Amino acid sequence: MSRLEAKKPSLCKREPLTSERVRATLSVLKGIVTSCYGPSGRLKQLHNGLGGCVCTTSQSSALLANLSVTHPILKILTTAMQNHVSCFSDCGLFTAILCCNLIENVQRIGLTPTTVMKLNKHLLRLCISYLKSEVCGCRIPVDFSSTQILLCLVRSILTSKPACMLTRKEIDHVSALILRAFLLTIPENTEDHIILGKSIIVPLKGQRVIDSTVLPGILIEMSEVQFMKLLPVKKSGSLKVALFCASLSGDLSDTGEGTVVVSYGVSLENAVLDQLLNLGRQLVSDHVDLVMCQKVIHPSLKQFLSMHHVIAIDRVGVALMEPLSKVTGTRPIGSLGSVSPSTYGSVKDWCTAKFGFKHFFHLIPNEATVCSLLLCNRSDTAWDELKVTCQTALHVLQLTLKEPSVLLGGGCTETHLAAYIRHKTCNEPESILKDEGCTQTELQLITEAFCSALESLAGSLEHDGGEILTDLKYGHFWSIQADSPSIVNWSNLLSRCGCGLCNSQEELSWSFLRSTCHPFAPQTCLPHEAAGSANNLTLDCFTAKLNGLQVAVETANLILDLSYVIEDKN
Amino acid sequence: MATAASVKAALQVAEALESIVSCCVGPDGRQVLCTKPTGEVLLSRDGGRLLQALHLEHPIARMMVACVSNHLRKAGDGAKTFIIFLSHLLRGLHAIPDQENGSLVSENSQTLGRHWKNCCRWKFISQALLTFQTQILDYVMDQYLSRHFLSIFSSSTKERTLCRNSLELLLEAYFCGRVGRNNHNLISQLMCDYLFKCVAREGGFEEVFELVGDCFVELNVGVTGLPVSDSRIVAGLVLHRDFSGYCPADGDIRIALVTETIQPIFSTSGSEFILNSEAQFRASQFWIMERTKAIMKHLQSQNVKLLLSSVKQPDSVIFYARLNDISVVECLSSEEVSLIQRVIDLSPFVLPQASSRCEISNTAVVKFCKPLVLRSKRYVHLGLISKCSFVPHCLVLCGPVQGLVEQHKDALHGAFKMLRQLFKHLDLNYLTQASDQNYTSSPLIYKNSRESNQLPEIVNGSLQRPYQGTVVKNKDKLAKTQTYLKVYSNLVVPSIELEKHFPCSTPKVAPVDTYQTNETLRCLSPNKTGIIDYGEPFPESNSANSTTENTRIKISYENLQVTKIAGKGSMLPVRYKSREMCPSRSYCFSSIPAGSVLPVGGNFEILLHFYLLNYAKICQQSEEATVGVIVANALLGIPKILHKSKKGNYSFPQMYARALHALQSGQPMGSRQTGLESVVGKYQLLTSVLQCLTKILTIDLVINIKRQPQEICDQDSEEEL
Repeated sequence: MSRLEAKKPSLCKREPLTSERVRATLSVLKGIVTSCYGPSGRLKQLHNGLGGCVCTTSQSSALLANLSVTHPILKILTTAMQNHVSCFSDCGLFTAILCCNLIENVQRIGLTPTTVMKLNKHLLRLCISYLKSEVCGCRIPVDFSSTQILLCLVRSILTSKPACMLTRKEIDHVSALILRAFLLTIPENTEDHIILGKSIIVPLKGQRVIDSTVLPGILIEMSEVQFMKLLPVKKSGSLKVALFCASLSGDLSDTGEGTVVVSYGVSLENAVLDQLLNLGRQLVSDHVDLVMCQKVIHPSLKQFLSMHHVIAIDRVGVALMEPLSKVTGTRPIGSLGSVSPSTYGSVKDWCTAKFGFKHFFHLIPNEATVCSLLLCNRSDTAWDELKVTCQTALHVLQLTLKEPSVLLGGGCTETHLAAYIRHKTCNEPESILKDEGCTQTELQLITEAFCSALESLAGSLEHDGGEILTDLKYGHFWSIQADSPSIVNWSNLLSRCGCGLCNSQEELSWSFLRSTCHPFAPQTCLPHEAAGSANNLTLDCFTAKLNGLQVAVETANLILDLSYVIEDKN
Repeated sequence: MATAASVKAALQVAEALESIVSCCVGPDGRQVLCTKPTGEVLLSRDGGRLLQALHLEHPIARMMVACVSNHLRKAGDGAKTFIIFLSHLLRGLHAIPDQENGSLVSENSQTLGRHWKNCCRWKFISQALLTFQTQILDYVMDQYLSRHFLSIFSSSTKERTLCRNSLELLLEAYFCGRVGRNNHNLISQLMCDYLFKCVAREGGFEEVFELVGDCFVELNVGVTGLPVSDSRIVAGLVLHRDFSGYCPADGDIRIALVTETIQPIFSTSGSEFILNSEAQFRASQFWIMERTKAIMKHLQSQNVKLLLSSVKQPDSVIFYARLNDISVVECLSSEEVSLIQRVIDLSPFVLPQASSRCEISNTAVVKFCKPLVLRSKRYVHLGLISKCSFVPHCLVLCGPVQGLVEQHKDALHGAFKMLRQLFKHLDLNYLTQASDQNYTSSPLIYKNSRESNQLPEIVNGSLQRPYQGTVVKNKDKLAKTQTYLKVYSNLVVPSIELEKHFPCSTPKVAPVDTYQTNETLRCLSPNKTGIIDYGEPFPESNSANSTTENTRIKISYENLQVTKIAGKGSMLPVRYKSREMCPSRSYCFSSIPAGSVLPVGGNFEILLHFYLLNYAKICQQSEEATVGVIVANALLGIPKILHKSKKGNYSFPQMYARALHALQSGQPMGSRQTGLESVVGKYQLLTSVLQCLTKILTIDLVINIKRQPQEICDQDSEEEL
């Protein structure tokens, strides 16, 4: 009996963005994401009153996943950011802040949504074509013959996540490890297209970060008892491996939808066990040295195998199956019938290792693109944060491999881009006006809103009350400490710009970021040989940032276009 | 409890709905955010979806929503216009009593009596509406409006080729009302590319529309987290799942389809399997394994590299498939299976029951079969070789949030429905009647023929257009004597005007050479007027498209004109038809030809408005006339909203005055809009609204029942069976 219930009518609200409540919640969200941004960002402690562990973070992925938003507009915003992060791992906060800034700035102007959206889209197109163009002053091509730029990129990512709680030395160590792990996944003999391997992150909590390490091959954790048993059967030389994906526990396979009637005295378990032992005999006669199973191996079979000096490891788990079959070159066996010899694989060697209080079985491959990154950190929450950061860094490296360029970090790209857009719309407004059919004033207003959204995004890197300057030649980002003496000679106070490419020794002139200055064409500051030697650049992933920029503007446009919100209250 | 239903109540409801939907109408429409009880967030500008999401309680509102969804099922478009038009009609009706029956109502002091009287009157009006919808509307559509129709097809010849430019214009106008303002260009381009990629040969459009309309869900993949501009078309079919086992394969790849588990099982449902000994168990297990192995071996020997299965296969099947280098895709939905069957005409193979040998004859060749990774999710990508006129392609739709992707999916799906409608002939109720039976309407018909002299100018377009030679070919010998062709060409644009008067005698048909026709034109024209200027010679070469044809029964002249639609630089074939009475034929069903379109921006509404007013003027029955005027005025509501934000010269009053002036003087209606819309859709919308209105008007009481709804028993139907 189903109960019929009348649906409650929905709640329909007009012009949602003008409501005070929505504005307030938007600014709260903006406050949260802005304060997390950058290396000196503040950490957030998220704890659920209903249980679960407390999470300390400043990363967008953890933050947005745990934050529960109720208003549909905020839901749109946060899901857009989460979707971006799930695709690119990086630049989530960048996207969120930019989107909030844009919405706020545009609302202040009060133009019709049509004009706003058209012009926003046009400005976005300008940005993208500039960032992709050859003359772009904030993009550095990546040279894979040296690791310098890649190392800077990884280090920038680690630095911008303060919740990992790493010291300077630890950052250097971990970023070197991450880069090594990434390089190990690139196959040596490349054909027309590369298939990257995998780096598996192995947790080791409670150890010093410095103890983290990278090992080629696969680490399988095992209990101490198993570990002790393994010791006597050490054998050198190449080893023959059989990998099972079918269960070897002796359970009955699916018997269909009908009934199976078993006569008294017939033991199916014995029959299956016989079958398993037959299989074991075949494995032994095929001189297999190592048997691994995704599921459980029957104790009798295990015993049988160890009697014949065959190592048996079970409960490997589905996650390790693909890397294992890659490392060993086996095809996972899915049947208990006779095993064809073509499914066997081999490894170079195996050894046992003890890291901290954990015991591992280490498979050393002949040549394979799988490696294990043994990651240590002091506390659970810091380890979680570090793990996500490492995954981000590995993903960013993959993206960089696909699109070999990086953007200047530390706020320089944003201020540079803002300067470029200002200059472009001030000097060549005709083309835009003609295309979009709007007035000069409208264009100026929107440009101002767009550029100041970018600039205040860069400005939110500064959390300690310092002042933000931009130079009038390259349009880079400079910050000076709070309570520094009022204007004396800025070049004495400043040393390096946000990304670290320019220094104050040059003849530069500065102005406050939020002050109005005459639009200028920002120049390229890329003494290429210097870029190679400079080992302390702050860099950002090109692909992720470009997508973040697009997603932020598109989401802002989407939200600005809303005229009604219909909430289903059922 | 019962409440009196009244136009007033209905009007209030309609106006409330109008205020919501009117903000989404047209190119300047905005988005609406809907949340679902599950927490999903949807973006929409689709009127039908919005009305559904509101979960309205008011009984009249629910009836309206039901009418709208009925209409949407047919036409796939026009929910917002429906509501706007309905509320304008109600407003018009609401305004009548104050003028006519004001004194009568005040006399009646008893409210109930007044109510019944009102109801009675509304009933009459609703009947008048019904007759209007079934007779007059179709008549006006056919007699007057059809001359203005443009066609989506490239040429007016019999084989219908779709003109890409006009399709682009049509789709752009459609998506303007459906997706966000920044995306409609992109989406309409995408859809246009998609269509032309999918259609294998000319004329296969209907089949493709049908197939894509039915299987649209399977033909697109949504990806979130990327900007909308990353949306693209991929060749081949993308299945929404990953391989269960993948073995890379090249060259000649064959696929096979299976709908049952390949591995035999111990017992099927309803049967019993008795095990008597361990050996028997072992033997049966062995047999099962051997059989699975044998089937896979056999598949491999047939060069099958991919096995598609609609059910989940046991692990060992996948294992043996992998041993034989066969990739497996499991758990295909029945829709996916039927799509594959439709495209490549592949039927699933049947496993023989007894023997271990099996014959698999049903395999098909595919170009490729590989995994497709879209943002960390893996899909199966198949290069099917089509056996029908649909070349499989898939749309990858990207967007920052799922809600936006869904919106684009819905809009694209709706566009296919709209196109399917557009490609169909729509028969009108109206019969072209014999003149001897219909003396009353003969002055009207005469007027019609007189009016037709204004038409060519409308088509002949704007003044800036360069002169394109138009060859007028008269097939009708009779026309030579009884037709005078008036050709006047001013210096900028020569336009050809054609006026015909038919006597009651049967015309004889005799084809005339084009050249001769030219001669006819030449010799006839001077004795008509002296202002004719043949400064530009008629081109001697006659393109087939630019002929004016006169046939015996209906005089339809079709000519190809180059119409420049505001700044688009597109070549649009213009075709129009004017039909006239012919005494030799008594009945002829009229219809809206397939592919008829009109420029967007309220052109249809203003044209219909104009002709309905004209009709009302000469109409004898006052009731018909009033209804005609009400409908005519309500029609203006839509262009009013579309031009709401425009200023100056393009504001609605200006535009309206210009259009009316143009129609009266026979000038072309200058349209600033770039885009086309389907006439059939508009016509269907109009009839649906009128039907809905008659429904509303015939209700006199709304009775509120507070009881659990009872299940409706279909006993009658069972008995019939």
